[in-house]
Amino acid sequence: MEMSMWLALASIAIGTYLIRLLPYIWMKRSLAKRQTEDGVGSMPTWLTILGPTMIAAMFGTSLVPAHSGALSWLATGVGILVTYGVWTRTRSMGLPILFGVLAFGIVMLFFVF
Amino acid sequence: MNTATQTLAGTPWKQGVKDAIPLLGGYIPVAISFGLISVQSGFSVLETVLISAFIYAGASQFLFVAMAASGAPLWFVVIMTLLINARHVVYGPNLSPYLNQDKKWLPLMHGLTDQIFALAHARLPQLPDQARIGWYTGAAVLAWLSWIAGTALGAIAGGELTQRWPLINDILPFALPALFFVLIVPRCNNRLWTLTIALSAVSAVILKVSGYPNVAIPLAALCGAALFYALKNQRDMGGQ
Repeated sequence: MEMSMWLALASIAIGTYLIRLLPYIWMKRSLAKRQTEDGVGSMPTWLTILGPTMIAAMFGTSLVPAHSGALSWLATGVGILVTYGVWTRTRSMGLPILFGVLAFGIVMLFFVF
Repeated sequence: MNTATQTLAGTPWKQGVKDAIPLLGGYIPVAISFGLISVQSGFSVLETVLISAFIYAGASQFLFVAMAASGAPLWFVVIMTLLINARHVVYGPNLSPYLNQDKKWLPLMHGLTDQIFALAHARLPQLPDQARIGWYTGAAVLAWLSWIAGTALGAIAGGELTQRWPLINDILPFALPALFFVLIVPRCNNRLWTLTIALSAVSAVILKVSGYPNVAIPLAALCGAALFYALKNQRDMGGQ
């Protein structure tokens, strides 16, 4: 790899790290300042809304099958329904995901491949 | 979301590792694909592994190798990849109320990917303050190492692996939507949040299917937030 490519790689790596780090430091200082000023250090409301909506959006994008088709969507629907069914019973993380992947895989194996 | 503080059965980092295991189903197949594509694009195995270790952001890594291989100007490659990662700006601030003043949080921010953010946003409020850094370290380091290991595997033997086990790429990645679902569904405990979450998810599906995968997450999140404010204002005005 040429030097210019290494520089590009380093710029992206440092830039990505700073995108993750600097807003955190800014909010930490902002919370500390607010706490000193009025005794309450609370986050801006828009930020507390954007957190869950970002996760919901990640859920949406990850739902789209790699090879889009009616049967892939059927497998996705079954997988999510099974995940939800197991989650309502266990209220845990591991088992609903495991059964969801199994259900998705079974539908894919029987109907798609 | 359940915010009741939970006691941990084992050490915090072990719990973090355990909670992050479902991520591997999504990380490893995608990392194998990246390793394979990167080597096919002309990068060496070592360079490919270094890209995964230091950039550590899936979509922008694929864009980086594709644009670099196509001969695009490098300044443009840098800008485009950073623009894709710009959505990460809201992750740190959202977690900051749950993180203490320990300086170790600074290097740990390297591990703040989409999936680790989603996991930490749900789990950190449930953990006692002193257990959070250990939990986060366990979860983030496992995810980072699995991404690097998957990349190395893909770069060294990706072609053979995907030929021998073609289902790896098709079935295991379903662990990611299942994980996000389990993380977000407890939030749907009233009409306002249920509609907000539903609109964000549906908008993201539509944007991705329409061919805008890179802007789908921030745009869909903004749609959901706009609906939240609209419904809340309507409710507040109705209550006056």
